[in-house]
Order: sequence, then structure tokens, then C-alpha cells
Amino acid sequence: MLEVKNLSKVFTVGLFSRHRIEAVKNVSMNVSRGEIVSLVGESGSGKTTLCRMILRLLEPTSGSIKYDGVDVTRLKGKKLKWYWRKVHGVFQDPYASFHPFYRVEHILYQAFNLLPGLSEEEKKIRVHEALKMVGLNPEEVLGKYPHELSGGMRQRIAIARCFILDPELIVADEPVSMLDASTRVGIIKLFSDLRDRMNSSVIFVTHDIGLAYVVSDRVLIMYKGVIVEEGDPLTVMDNPSHPYTRRLREDVPLLYRKWEGF
Amino acid sequence: MSEPLLLGLGLRASYVLRIGEVRAVDGVDIEVPRDAVVGLAGESGCGKSTLVNVLLANIRPPLRIKSGKILLDGVDLLEMSREEVRKKVWGVKVSYVPQSALNALNPTKRIIELVKDAITQHTPATDQEVVSLCKRRLEELNLPTDSIHKYPHELSGGMRQRVIIAISTLLNPRLLVVDEPTSALDVSTQKQVLKMMLDMKRNRIIDSILFVTHELPVLRQVSSHVYIMYAGKIVEYGPADSVFFNPLHPYTKALMYSVMTPEPETRERGLVAIPGEPPSLLMPPQGCRFHPRCPYVMDICRSSEPRLVPVGEGRGVACFLHHSEVAS
Amino acid sequence: MLRGVSKIISPELFTIRKLDASLAVLLTIFALGFVGSTVYPVQPTAVVGPLETPPSQLYPLGTDAYGKDILAQLIAGIRGSLQIGATAAAISLLIGVLIGLMAGYKGKIIDNLLMMLTDIVLLLPSILLMIMVAAYFKWRDPLLVSIIIGITSWPWVARAVRSQTLSLKNREFVNLSKMAGLSDFRIVIRDILPNIASYIFMAYVLLMSGAMIAETGLSMIGLGTTQGVTLGNILFWAQVLEAVRRGLWWWFIPPGATLVALAASLLMIATALDEYFNPRLRGS
Repeated sequence: MLEVKNLSKVFTVGLFSRHRIEAVKNVSMNVSRGEIVSLVGESGSGKTTLCRMILRLLEPTSGSIKYDGVDVTRLKGKKLKWYWRKVHGVFQDPYASFHPFYRVEHILYQAFNLLPGLSEEEKKIRVHEALKMVGLNPEEVLGKYPHELSGGMRQRIAIARCFILDPELIVADEPVSMLDASTRVGIIKLFSDLRDRMNSSVIFVTHDIGLAYVVSDRVLIMYKGVIVEEGDPLTVMDNPSHPYTRRLREDVPLLYRKWEGF
Repeated sequence: MSEPLLLGLGLRASYVLRIGEVRAVDGVDIEVPRDAVVGLAGESGCGKSTLVNVLLANIRPPLRIKSGKILLDGVDLLEMSREEVRKKVWGVKVSYVPQSALNALNPTKRIIELVKDAITQHTPATDQEVVSLCKRRLEELNLPTDSIHKYPHELSGGMRQRVIIAISTLLNPRLLVVDEPTSALDVSTQKQVLKMMLDMKRNRIIDSILFVTHELPVLRQVSSHVYIMYAGKIVEYGPADSVFFNPLHPYTKALMYSVMTPEPETRERGLVAIPGEPPSLLMPPQGCRFHPRCPYVMDICRSSEPRLVPVGEGRGVACFLHHSEVAS
Repeated sequence: MLRGVSKIISPELFTIRKLDASLAVLLTIFALGFVGSTVYPVQPTAVVGPLETPPSQLYPLGTDAYGKDILAQLIAGIRGSLQIGATAAAISLLIGVLIGLMAGYKGKIIDNLLMMLTDIVLLLPSILLMIMVAAYFKWRDPLLVSIIIGITSWPWVARAVRSQTLSLKNREFVNLSKMAGLSDFRIVIRDILPNIASYIFMAYVLLMSGAMIAETGLSMIGLGTTQGVTLGNILFWAQVLEAVRRGLWWWFIPPGATLVALAASLLMIATALDEYFNPRLRGS
């Protein structure tokens, strides 16, 4: 469904000295329908840059992104709206996702810009339905300002937007890393709900190998701008081939096993 | 049994604000034995950082202490003046590395200057002596000795955290208190920092560590005892292995079930979400504070508050499900 | 947007003492300028009495070398200066905010070109530019003077707005708006502008104080407005007719002091607003 080919992003810093930073180097990957894929890497690995390029929020330096066979790398205008209708994003920071001046439903009603031809009544019904689907009581949250809701509730609203749009692929950039342990699982479950209910695919972009291991069908390990390993989570964890993955496996704290020599 | 290194008894402390009283620590008993790593786990806003400040007798408005005793090596810190605590306790008997330490260092000073500023309050040592003390300590912990002449930003995150912890215990305090020391680091640096702290304990630089974090897998690796805190109260405590393998309180259980680690056990058991959100400490629910989210809730949980009672093997739990066991 | 405004007028604002004092000074001067002529209905341009009389019962601030009433001139001058200050500030603000938003949001070539223009205007000594433009016109009404000042004093606004836009445009809520397929124009107006509204308000206050001083500067060298009275051209005539050397203090001190008080109170208001909008600067 999604095919990324030889995608690169080079940032140049400074006006004259032109210091080059290769954030993403020649990355290729693909995602099929109904699949949950995790893109795992530590900060600075280029995972967020890659995710922004897939979401068409950042111009790639070279390479291509194809969706359902259509090259979307340089789409503009109406075609780009079509793409965002199919491929949508949820971001890490449930605080920064909301404009502090507008009520929380602002980001939900915004989505209707991609779904033309709905009456106000229909929009209202869809917003209510979406909020219920993410486990919120519409009466309780509608009309509130972002600071009046907790991080978990805000993240649920951001996901409700995906329920309205019913996209085929959701790119979630660290959707739970700023939330507490007890609220995390509830949010993760919403994504698997989206998959089960609407057969959407999900890309989790995360630093948390545990999350990737528990929820995904396939993991991609990214290190210094390159995807160094790919496979189903059990194989990758049991039998890592790249030194970075091996180190990751050894250094991640587990719940049921203790580190040796500690 | 020898007396514990740190003992907090009946601690109650609140933030007195215009909008009301936030009871961040509401009747907490906690004990840090000698030669132990005690983990204090809880979610953000459960009062664990406040509890740490209370245990260190670092109480400044709007935080107010209502009642309780804090015995460090048998001395009640709450009987001392702030000035006395600052001179004789902090850095000498107990060192504290707060969550913000990693990014809160004065960027215009070299590490060694920061150490000198901090240490002259406690000891008459000359600059020369401080420098050699620092170097010896860093050497002992296998850290590069030239890092003391660097500026904080010249060290990587993990190295900076290790250096901070190493120099904050220069005077060999008995207790080291760390608040989320590794949550901003990637897993490999995290492991190095944890290893160094345990080495410090092994080398007798410190006796015990009070480790505050919301990450259970980290506690699993380092702690010998754990305390689980929820909404201003301790809901469960005990030896780490026993609590991790057999959690008794429904909240502890739920926390364990929401942990995602790359292990077959977690994948097989799947994820269980805890409904709802942690309560506001401004208006905590009546009865047991976890009852609105608890899958085993009974009538009594809604009306009365379960006490934290010992259930044997050094464990304790604040839940009516286990009170009956004690009774019968 | 509405909440942004309610924040500006919330009562907390008035707990900042700096603001109380400077607002009192400013309002007094405003009152003098706008209500003064009804209480003291003397024509500023009419010859009403003897030449160069010191303040007295009849002429509260004395008369000038032509026998015109100074208080009446001061009242008209305040109004004239405030009008030029307000108009010039509005012009600079409009140019500065537009250029800053465009450069910051669009980036790349547009940013480079606009910032080059900004740097050029910033590097040219603005007073020289004003002198050149002003000298080209023989007749200068207050609006023309406002335009001359306005088109030379926007660069710092553009730079500041640009840097704020740069940091805002990568926020998640902007990304969410983008992904909803909203146009750049709507994103700038609805997402970015409200976030810098408080800053724009502050910049306006600063620009106004700067513009009134610039007007005085132009007037003092004879290139101010040729119609109407401003604080600057009262001072111009006082200077031409050597009021200082001849000790006619009532002619130059009132307009000079008023100008300083105006500029200073506006500056204080700007810093007080800065403290209000940036709680970090507020002392504990």
C-alpha cells in the first residue's frame, strides 16, 4: 500500500559554511493494508524526520513515496488533500497538538475540510460518534479548552480525528511517550481498534522497543538514519542480526528478567 | 534488626493554594533500610516527588507539612532548622539528584566550579583538595577525570548524569536519593548510569539508594524493595521480587499489566488498560482512592479507606481484598 | 482569539505596578490632548496676546515670540504628535508583520529575499532616509510624515515576527492544520497570528513611542509637518528663535517634558506587558 523508496533527507545548517546533516539516508520500506508496523530508534535516529516525510509535512531531498501505486512525493493541492484523507498523523505531544486559543473540537471540525459535502448536522453527529469511539463522553469534552483536559484525554481527541477521517494509514509519532503508564495502554488499544474496525494500517514511530514488540506485526529498527533491521518482533528480539539491535536487546530493562551482573 | 537508615512516619504534607489544599502526601510511612535500593513508583502527580522533598526536609511554601516524623540515622529532621539541615544533612548525610539536574546546571561554569560552590558549605577543604577528591572519585567509578574541567554542555547526557551523581556524593553521604535519573536517556546510557549507582553502593560510597521513577522495568533491575504510590498514599510495599512476581494491590497489578517490555510474557498476556484517569489530589474520591478504576471494587471500598496493613514477608498492602485474609 | 483579548484586559494585568504609574501618566497626557481644547478653547495658531510673556493667570504657560498661547499649542501638539505616532506605528506594524509572517512561514527564497530587503532598510541610517524623502516634498501633511516614518521603522518588527513564526510553524497544531489541507493563508491567520498577537500589541506601543521621537527629530531640522501643530514643531520654533539662549523656559520645557513623559510611559507599558505575557520575567 505504502512504498517508500530510497528516501533521503539532508538538512543544511548555516548560510555559508553549509554544514550538512544527513538525517535519513536512502531508506526504503513498505506497509501493507491492515498491518501494524513499528519504526524503532533512539532520539536522533531520523525516525521522526522519516515520519514527517511520509506525512508530507517535510520535503524529501531525494527518493520517492508511493501510495496505492500513485507517486505522492510531490503532490500538491487537491491531490494532496486526497492523500491526507488516506494517510493521517497523530503526534507525540498532546499539549502542542492543540492551539491554546481554540476549543478542543477545533481539530476535529478541521478534518471536515478533507471530507467536503457534509451538512453541519452530519458533522456534529460524526464528531459525537468519534468521541464515543475513543472512550470520551462528548458532553464532557466538547466546548472545553485544551488546558482543561488531561494529556490522555487530549491524545484521545487527536485520535478521534482519525476516527472521523477513517484513513487507511495512520502514522503515530511517539503517541504515548508523554503519557503515564496507566493511560498508555488505553491509547495504544485505540490504534488496534482502528485496525480491527476499519482495517487501517498503523505505523508507530517510537523509541520504545517494548511497545513495538507487544503491539506490532513487523518492526523496523532505525539507527543513524538507516533502517538496520526489519522483521517480525519475535524474530528480531530473539535473533537480532545488527549490533545495534543486539545492544538494544541487552540494555532494555525487562520486567520478568534481571540483567546479568547487576 | 538494625534501625533503618531513613524512616518516615505518618507523613502528611499539602500544597496550600488559592483554589484549595492539594494533599500530595497523605499519611505515608516509608522505610529505607541500610544496604538497600528502595524503589518508589507512581505516576506523575501521585505525590512521589513531593514525598521526596518531605523526606529530605526540603519544605518551602506553598508546600506545608501537617504531621509526621522523619528519622535519618535516628535524628528527626523536622526538629532541625532549615539552616541546620542545609549544613549538616544535605550533601553530608543524604544527597539528592532531582529530575531536572540533567539540564539545570549553570551552563557558564565548569563542573569543578559547580562542585566547589556546593561543597564549601560543608567542609573546610581547600580548592586543591576538592580537585583531587573529585578526580579520585571519578577514577574510582571509571569516569574520565578531565570531565571536571569541562562545561556541562560538553558532556553527553549520560556522562553528565553520571558525573552529577558521582560528585553529588563526594562527601560519602549514607543515602542517595534520585528522581527519574534516566528517563531522558536512551536505554544503553540508562544502563550505564544504573550500573554506576549500584557500583557506588558496592564500593560503600553510599549505603542505600531511594530511587523514584514511574518505570517499573527499571526498578525491577535495580531495587531490593519497592513502594507503590497512588494519589498521595502508599498502596503496596515489599521486597522487590515478591511484589513484581505477585502483586497484591489491584493498582499494582494493573500497572504491571500495562508495562510493555520485549518479553514473551508481556506479549502473551497482552495489554490490559486501566479505565479512567488518576484522580485530582484536590478532591480525591471517597473511600479507597483507586475504587473508581478498580475492577474488583466492593461496597466497602466506596465508603471507607483501607489502611496499609502488613501481610507477612515484609509486605504490606492497602486493600480490603487482603484485609480479610489477615483477619481470617 | 477572544481569549487572547480577554487575557489582555484581565485584572491581573493591573497588579503590575509599573503599569499603574505609566498608564496614569499616559492617560493624563491623552486627556490633555483630546479634552484639553474644550476646557481651554484658545486657538493654537491665533495671536492672542503680548509677545514672550511668562506664565500668568491669563496665559497659563505664557506666549511665544509671535504672541501665540503655548498651552493651546501644547494641547494641539500632543494631539498632533499622538496622531502621527499612532499612524506611523500602524504603518510600520503592517509592513513588519506582513513581511515577518511571509518570510517566516514561506521560508526558502522568499525568506532570503525579504530578509535581504529588511537588512538593507535596517542598515540604512533611517534618519538619513527620512531626511531624503522628507526633503523631496515641499508640502508635508501629518499623513505624509507618518508614512515617511512608518516605511523606515519596520525592520526590527519584521525580524522579530519572522523568528516567532519560524518557531511556531513547526508546532504540532500547525502540522495538524496542514494535514487537514488548510491553505497557508488560513494557517497563518488562524494558527500563527493569534499566538503573536500579544507581541504585536507590544510592538505597536514601542513603535508609537519611537515614531513620536522620530517626528520630533524631523521637525527639529525643519523637515516635519508643514500643517498643524506637533510637539516637534513647537520645539522647532523655540529652537529657531533661540528660546533656550534667551531663557524663555516656558516655551521649550512643557513640550519637551511632555514628549519625554509620553515616550517613557509607552516604553514602561511595553515592558510591563512583556512581564505580563511572559510570566517567567515576573519576580516571585
